[in-house]
Amino acid sequence: MSAAIETPAGAAAPVQKPGKAPPVLSGGWPLLGHLQELRRRPIELFARVRAECGEIGELNFAGSRVVLLTGEAAQEAFFRGTDEQLDQAAAYPFMTPIFGRGVLFDATPEQRRQGLRNQSLRDSFMRGHAEVIAAETRRMMSGLADSGELDLLDFFSELTIYTSSACLIGKEFREELTPEYFRVFYDLEKGTDAIAYVNPNLPLAPFRRRDRARRRLVELLTAVFERRAKQPSEKRELFDVLLSLKLPDGSPRFSVDQVTGMFISMMFAGHHTTSGTAAWTLIELLRNPEFGAGVVAELDSLYADGSDVSYQALREIPELEGAIKEALRLHPPLILLMRKVMYDFHYGEWTVPAGKLVAVSPSLSNRMPEHFPEPDRYDPDRYKEGREEDAKLFAWIPFGAGRHRCVGAAFAMMQLKAIFSTLLREYEFELAQPPTSYKNDHSKMVVQLAKPCRARYRRRAR
Amino acid sequence: MKIRVDADLCQGHAVCREEAPRVFDVDPGTNRVVVKVERPDESLRAEVKRAVKYCPTRALRLEED
Repeated sequence: MSAAIETPAGAAAPVQKPGKAPPVLSGGWPLLGHLQELRRRPIELFARVRAECGEIGELNFAGSRVVLLTGEAAQEAFFRGTDEQLDQAAAYPFMTPIFGRGVLFDATPEQRRQGLRNQSLRDSFMRGHAEVIAAETRRMMSGLADSGELDLLDFFSELTIYTSSACLIGKEFREELTPEYFRVFYDLEKGTDAIAYVNPNLPLAPFRRRDRARRRLVELLTAVFERRAKQPSEKRELFDVLLSLKLPDGSPRFSVDQVTGMFISMMFAGHHTTSGTAAWTLIELLRNPEFGAGVVAELDSLYADGSDVSYQALREIPELEGAIKEALRLHPPLILLMRKVMYDFHYGEWTVPAGKLVAVSPSLSNRMPEHFPEPDRYDPDRYKEGREEDAKLFAWIPFGAGRHRCVGAAFAMMQLKAIFSTLLREYEFELAQPPTSYKNDHSKMVVQLAKPCRARYRRRAR
Repeated sequence: MKIRVDADLCQGHAVCREEAPRVFDVDPGTNRVVVKVERPDESLRAEVKRAVKYCPTRALRLEED
């Protein structure tokens, strides 16, 4: 298996004597290893590694060997690894059928570094984005009555499909989107069953729904692009440009299928993550009403002078920011970050040979009691001056860390501030279920809020 | 005061350049921060502190002499 892996030319691997092999976690089944435990109780599985093996321990996902690093020092070694040594590409087999071939992960690390310079995430664009997000939130609110009940997953999923497409792709493109898009994305996100480690194309219901959703998305986008080709607009947006590119023989450079893949990859990173965090922020504020009241009072007072969301969302909103960060700490949208080892990875007295995967778990790290006192308690005051528990760069890792830290982190924080600045000044919310009934569904690698997840809303008296 | 950069962390968001353009730039080739003045004048302290604080990857540190 490791025979095909070579050290990249020119980048000589540091010569180091191989160390010990990391301990293997108990309880693996024949063939499947720990896969079933991963699909049922992933966070308990990761905690078992730390309890049983210490800061390094090996898991088996149906033949893929995954070495989990835990604790601040081991995690720092993971996050400081170079692209040449620790590669993201091969680590997520469950994503390939979603993005399609030739989209995100087929490029070299250097090409990816170039591609990652998404100009639309630059700081200078943020004010325009904040304005768009506030407007999209108002549009979603215009679909609400004076009082009623809503599904938090559906509400925030739909909203973030519109905000992400408007900010990252283009405002005209956003106008083409309907609620069907967020339902299609739901099926794509649900298609990330870890059984993909056996084979991502097994004839199973989640994979069939995933493939049907992707085909439907190609259909929907084909119709959009045909319509735009017939009625050329003054404004050429990203996809218009991509589709107009030609090869030397005159044939199109990118097919609609490939552009669909780019659309999915651009939207994916910012969709379930932001929508889940919005839902958890609201749930936690309703479960902890003393903090909920503090956030509403903060927003009322900040906006009392009539200042605009596009101005304020870029500035400090300490109570709200603490509430969002604490929702992220307790409910990180990604529970396992992985890299493929391209040449031997040494940590302390251990060596992970090329071909295996190394991993870090934000869910486990964000609740390490040595860094986060009373780790299971929702306490937005952790981020106030003097405590600043998010300053532990390699322990507080809802966005990851190091050079692959989420490039959209600042955009996501601004987006959540803009959404709640708009929503909480207009409506008040109430849990419609017992407080402990809100849970994440961990049966898929892409974490989603489990249904039912309902809340009641009422327009605030003004 | 002296500016320290953790080059492993910089992603080229250019927030530092927005906050303190006299002190920071972003190299278009490497897409990484360039510290134009390693020991900036005391008069720039406020904007340098903002750059350090708002760096999305916390790649900057301010050290006192």
